[in-house]
Amino acid sequence: MENNYIYIPDKSQEFRCRVPLKDTRQVFVVDGKGEQMGLSLGKGEILPDMLQVIQVRSAHAAEDLSYSTDYVLGEGAQAKVLLCSHTLSMEDFVTRENVNVKLAQGAILDMVVMQNEHNKSKHSTSFKVELEAGAVLNLNVITLHGGEISNDIEVALNGKGGECYVNGLYLADGNQRVSTNVNIRHNVPECHSSQLFKGILDGDSVTRFSGRIYVAKDAQKTEAYQANNNLLASRTAKAYTQPHLEIYADDVKCSHGATVGSLNADELFYMRSRGIAKDEAKLLQQQAFAYAVLEKVANGSLRERLHSLVESRLRGEFSECSNCSKHCC
Amino acid sequence: MENLIEIKNLHANINGREILKGIDLVVKPGEVHAIMGPNGSGKSTLSAVLAGKEHYEVTEGTVTFMGQNLLEMSPEERSWAGLFLGFQYPIEIPGVTNVNFMKTAVNEHRKQKGLAPLTAAEYLKLMREKLAIVEMDPAFSSRGVNVGFSGGEKKRNEIFQMAMLDPKLAILDETDSGLDVDALRIVATGVNKLKKADNATIVITHYQRLLDYIVPDIVHVLYKGKIIKTAGKELALEVETRGYDWLIKGE
Repeated sequence: MENNYIYIPDKSQEFRCRVPLKDTRQVFVVDGKGEQMGLSLGKGEILPDMLQVIQVRSAHAAEDLSYSTDYVLGEGAQAKVLLCSHTLSMEDFVTRENVNVKLAQGAILDMVVMQNEHNKSKHSTSFKVELEAGAVLNLNVITLHGGEISNDIEVALNGKGGECYVNGLYLADGNQRVSTNVNIRHNVPECHSSQLFKGILDGDSVTRFSGRIYVAKDAQKTEAYQANNNLLASRTAKAYTQPHLEIYADDVKCSHGATVGSLNADELFYMRSRGIAKDEAKLLQQQAFAYAVLEKVANGSLRERLHSLVESRLRGEFSECSNCSKHCC
Repeated sequence: MENLIEIKNLHANINGREILKGIDLVVKPGEVHAIMGPNGSGKSTLSAVLAGKEHYEVTEGTVTFMGQNLLEMSPEERSWAGLFLGFQYPIEIPGVTNVNFMKTAVNEHRKQKGLAPLTAAEYLKLMREKLAIVEMDPAFSSRGVNVGFSGGEKKRNEIFQMAMLDPKLAILDETDSGLDVDALRIVATGVNKLKKADNATIVITHYQRLLDYIVPDIVHVLYKGKIIKTAGKELALEVETRGYDWLIKGE
């Protein structure tokens, strides 16, 4: 099969990135500047390859940084985007990023966000998404590693039949902090939304999840679901979770569920009784917990890569690195 | 021949309550033992203590398994040494596939023996061979461990795992509970196929009917935490017709 991507060996090497996934075009954004920022597609335009945006922070510009990117898809346009963010050196980076997404009627955007930064970096991303009638958003946010990561996701469903699927997995240990704020606004009738966010916490890490579903007065026939599940692998980790439902219409299907739990002792004993050592058994349980979110990633080869990244992250292999050298993307 | 397992005066508590009150039991290679007894006699506690389940406190006695002090070993070490517990209620593990689960277990056992992990092809071959013993469809391997399995499938999965790990001593805790006749036959046939001169099985059961298929050499009756009667296979038949009362009264 023909390799349909543009591969820039020197850049990849500099950023220690792996060979890109098949049918992927890589672009680099270094300290907020890049050859391509965001994306704009006209009516009916379909992006042939997945666009992988590799965002890195480097020692060349260690001061606090803010920047915005826009993803604008015209009527019926379709795109797949992978947004990665990394740190290349140990400075105390502070990054504020705005990702603005506008999907016209019937447009489809599939976006996967992969965050892997060092223990002292602070990165907050604000996603603002607007969907017109029949548009579809798939957003999967995978937070592998980082000092203080925050993701604010606001989605406005502004046209009938819009669908948004927002999912996330956050892994935290040591003193890491991850916060997630989701606000799904059903402004019109007959839209569908679902959220599945899962967290695995170890050490003294703290995570916060706040998810809001807002259903406007005349947004009848809305379907909106939300779930947040947290697994505590240590006694000192803390997971805060707050579901909010704000519903003004009377003909809707909505649900929410939030859990914070620890590893299942019966499962652990069962695995150990088969000769699976305690640590390995715990790892299997954590992988199993993460599984449902990773399975939401539509791209098969990306999904496989994420499964193996999550495994090495849970094995503690990331924390041995001072910065991005895990060849994650 | 040397004893596989030697249990001497075993006492065990759970939540401060004494359940086992002095068990003595010796199993030699090649033997099949049956432990019978009414509800609450301590049958499942005995299997849990032997497998190393948490929250059971051994207060007195010793257990020597293949020359080692079993009670000092972790559950995984017991498994590596060749002990297998077939669960009365096999645990469901959503998200962990059967293939991942068993492959990890088999390779941990190999690691302990200084052997290289099985390749994917080698594992698949072994798995198909052992699945056939319990007449299981290979399609089950991609499903979550015991998730959505019927009672019969769960018990067949236990015997499949036993076949994969090739233990020296298998303790089958109420493997017949919740099985229809066909599943019972498949499970029992599987256990019989795995019988070798150098391994042994302890079958824990309420009923005689399993023992029609897995014929024991020695039958023990457990009551109130003690073995009150040990005899040949005819004891199981006697329990089936006369119940336990005559034994309890004679105690």
